[in-house]
Amino acid sequence: MVIIETKNLSYTYPGGTKPSLNDVSIKIKAGEFALITGSSGSRKTTICRCFNGLIPHFYKGELEGEIRVADKDTTKHPTFEMAKEVGLVFQNPENQLFALSIEKDVAFGLENLGVPREKMRQRVDWALKLAGIYDLRERSPHEISGGQQQRVAIAAVLAMQPKIIVLDEPTSFLDPLSAKKIFEVIHDLNRKLGITVVLVEHRLDLTAKYADHIIIMDKGRVCQDGNPRTILGAESTRLIGVGIPKATLLFQMLAKDGLKLGSVVPLSSDEIAQSLLEAIKPHD
Amino acid sequence: MSVFDGLKYRKVSSPIHDLDPRIKFFYVCAIFVGAILFWTILPLLILFAIQIPFVLLAGVKREWLRSLRGTIFLAAIIFLTNLIVRYFASGGALLVTDLEFAAAMTLRFIVLVGSFSVFFLTTSPDHLGLALERTRMPYEFSFAFTTAVRFVPVLAEEAQTIMDAQKARGLELEKGNFLKRIRNYIPVLVPLIVSAIRRSLELAEAMESRAWGATKKRTNLYILRLKQGDFILFVITIVILMVTVYVRIYIDVPGLSQFLSGVS
Repeated sequence: MVIIETKNLSYTYPGGTKPSLNDVSIKIKAGEFALITGSSGSRKTTICRCFNGLIPHFYKGELEGEIRVADKDTTKHPTFEMAKEVGLVFQNPENQLFALSIEKDVAFGLENLGVPREKMRQRVDWALKLAGIYDLRERSPHEISGGQQQRVAIAAVLAMQPKIIVLDEPTSFLDPLSAKKIFEVIHDLNRKLGITVVLVEHRLDLTAKYADHIIIMDKGRVCQDGNPRTILGAESTRLIGVGIPKATLLFQMLAKDGLKLGSVVPLSSDEIAQSLLEAIKPHD
Repeated sequence: MSVFDGLKYRKVSSPIHDLDPRIKFFYVCAIFVGAILFWTILPLLILFAIQIPFVLLAGVKREWLRSLRGTIFLAAIIFLTNLIVRYFASGGALLVTDLEFAAAMTLRFIVLVGSFSVFFLTTSPDHLGLALERTRMPYEFSFAFTTAVRFVPVLAEEAQTIMDAQKARGLELEKGNFLKRIRNYIPVLVPLIVSAIRRSLELAEAMESRAWGATKKRTNLYILRLKQGDFILFVITIVILMVTVYVRIYIDVPGLSQFLSGVS
């Protein structure tokens, strides 16, 4: 089942002369882990804003084409209605937490929706535990690290139990280790709860292995769309300026020099280690 | 600023911290009324003394004293102004009663600052926001209040970063006369304001994405419930109010010098 679908979507910000999104047509299936990547200025954030109706409701501007998310036309439903279907996690963790305690922040969306208190308590605790920050629940946002703040932001959208979670470069303010932890949390949500994940990310080294689907954008257009192994393994992708995982690069270099390591393109270090082990295993 | 230090809330748990902010505010108002009603030292001293067990129970003695120390400058101004006005009003003669009056006015100020300081030291901004909501004030106001409190440390940190960055480029903040010094802060203020505006846009976006404004009937994770301690404080406050009003109306409170001579 397709949960996010855009058809010939084009968008121009108010006052903009050139369209920011140009004829974007993508399909993301329910339960998928989709990865959107591309160089800076490729308008990845803009497409995220379309998914929950911030575009066109909050940003105005001109939107053409069709977009359906969770069977709703985002142009016809206000953002607060879309918020129940799509959770959006932003780049800067600091600017998406407004309350004075973590649990209050996680409850914010539910409070807005008018969820009764007992139910709210349950869902807040559930989300806090899933994000692994239950012990921090009474702290204030400025007392915790950036990685923890970002997990609070994830818990906060999670508490609203959306079908889709869209994360716009959630780790760009974080160190590699915190980033890795965030990706693990996201992967868990996708695998265990079946939530559709749309992750916008540069760090393909850490994320490509989780992805079922990869979309590469360039200057407001989709230039590659499909299976991560075929796309990242292809020669043309490297030329766009996408950070191909190092394992994949090594695989390509070795293949070029005549060493073919199995038939599957590796996306992470453990995958390439596996095929290397297999290659050096004495055959009898 | 040391005065503001005395208003900063720190998260600790004490019987006073757990009290309902509305009742605590009522108590502060009662002290306030008491302080306004009297012109003489004795009752003001009593009002001041009433707060001491409160402070000790809350375990905020150090912070409270610091906030009082912060008032020294203003208190001195109040004392001197009163003294000078009295001096000229009485035609160049200064009596003991004038000294007493000036001291009483200063003490009144200290009582006011002291009681407000206890209130802010022991009331979490979250509770305060909640109390504001309870007063039927639109939610937007209490939200703006708690968010402002939330972003104070963030903005302070940012101001420091900008200041360091501008100093690294040769900006001298501590140079020149008073006006020049104020002007020196423009290169700090402009980026600070710009980034605050940008931050507010991001905040608005995040709020929208979390169903801001979805329903008029908003619920809240926390509720304020009156407990035993709240009733006790309520009774204490009523007693304080009644006693002060009674004393003010029916009893002629002696000045300190009269009182002392009466005793000896």
